[in-house]
Amino acid sequence: MARTPRATAIIGIGQTDWSGDWRRVRNGEKPADSVGYAAQAFQDALRDSGIPKSDIDGLIVGPTTAYERMGEVLGLNVRWGGQADAVQAILQAQMAIESGYAKVIALVYGNDQRSAGTQYGGPSAMGGQSFLSYVYHSPWGMTSQGALYALTLRRYQHERGLSEADMGQVAVAQRAWATMNDAAIQRKPITVDDYLQSRYVCEPLHVFDYCLVNDGGVALIIADAEYAERMRPDPVYILGTGRSDLNTGATSLEPRLTDYYLPAQQQAGTASYEMAGIGPDDMDVMLAYDSFSVHVPLALEGYGYCDVGGVAQFLTEKGIGPGGALPVNTHGGHLSESYMQGWNHQLEAVRQLRGEAGSRQIPGAQTVHYTSDVAGKCMSVIYGR
Amino acid sequence: MDIAPTPAPVPLVHDIPFWDSVKQKDLKLQRCADCGQFRYPAGPICAECNSEQATWERVSGKGTILSWVVFHKTYLPAYPAPHTVIAVRLDEGPIMISNLEGPEPEGSWIDERVSLRYSTMPDGVVLPRFELDRAAS
Ligand SMILES: [Zn+2]
Repeated sequence: MARTPRATAIIGIGQTDWSGDWRRVRNGEKPADSVGYAAQAFQDALRDSGIPKSDIDGLIVGPTTAYERMGEVLGLNVRWGGQADAVQAILQAQMAIESGYAKVIALVYGNDQRSAGTQYGGPSAMGGQSFLSYVYHSPWGMTSQGALYALTLRRYQHERGLSEADMGQVAVAQRAWATMNDAAIQRKPITVDDYLQSRYVCEPLHVFDYCLVNDGGVALIIADAEYAERMRPDPVYILGTGRSDLNTGATSLEPRLTDYYLPAQQQAGTASYEMAGIGPDDMDVMLAYDSFSVHVPLALEGYGYCDVGGVAQFLTEKGIGPGGALPVNTHGGHLSESYMQGWNHQLEAVRQLRGEAGSRQIPGAQTVHYTSDVAGKCMSVIYGR
Repeated sequence: MDIAPTPAPVPLVHDIPFWDSVKQKDLKLQRCADCGQFRYPAGPICAECNSEQATWERVSGKGTILSWVVFHKTYLPAYPAPHTVIAVRLDEGPIMISNLEGPEPEGSWIDERVSLRYSTMPDGVVLPRFELDRAAS
């Protein structure tokens, strides 16, 4: 059965106060645990949707909370549910609704990674065993997700000619967007010089290339289109989705070091473009999962926004910041807004399409493209009005 | 004085012969008995031809640097910053993540030829590492 564009739509979005959560945690407070952040975000999304809670018949929770406990806390006894990361949750909700397993699905995510001191590198790297490449090389001192991306970037720079100053444009652009976003945690503008002078964490990656690690929650309500249109005038439709993975040689980093995930990105992108009936030239906003800034140039090439090998020129001549030809991560992304593991990007897509993005609003935005490339899983979601 | 322990290998059952060969300073990799493909990490079947038959074979220890990084933050007590890591394409095919010992290349490390050596960590653990292959240059 073919996937149908506009069969599903987002009708509610919610979040916690990320910058407030950040300040409180830095002051040594522990405002909530992961379930608590998720519950606050759910309340916000439910209010935003205007629907009765009793209409929700599906629940997908992020990987950082236990599914059964989350359902218990929210009082949701559903006929379809599960646990997934941000983009897989979107795809699963779409599949469940299209195949009739549910009509209205709540997607909730909460994370107390900052206050809990979650380690993304070192001897107890979070979730490392389930991604062997994160821990396999630790006898040689290779640890942390950032280091994997640093290794990728170094080879990419060598092969495709992306200088450190070119690379700095990603973090600079995203910070420029974040200055127009009250919810963003880091709002102080930076320049390419600031970037170049900043410290390395794992060279060639600078501190500005790393996502923030912070507490918070995000929630979305996704429904079938008929219900969505009945409940609100401005549903945000899923126009296209696509997925493709590269697993061969994953532990020893072959897909990262020699392909930069390119074939999988191209396949996932094409599948979503064919479903939506539009392509990269039609996108008003592009949102790329960015646990590290490296994701952005790889995604721009992989999803066809520029020629392979042409991203340095694209960043310089076209631009991805305010005033640039292609607005990318207009909320500031994980680098400047909040590290909500891809969930916050979905909220930005909805805000841009509803015209609720304040001073960073792209006028008349009709289409938003979200891309995610994590551990070889390449996914593409196109949203539209 | 305390000696920081070398991070232990993740316990993969198919890797035991690999680590045994390292301990004996005679590096061997798993190789498909049917199609000849080398496997690293070792595994239960051949991803190329599905064969369940494999042998353990000594490798040349020669390779080429694919990429390198420098840790400026200490994550592991055994590896205080600054600490470098390299990715090496072995002549037999697999990529190994390891460290470069001895003289470092000027400028880019990519495409430098390297050869295997064994180094003993302060806690006695033997690791396969690489040094620049001066004979090749
Ligand atoms: Zn084989």
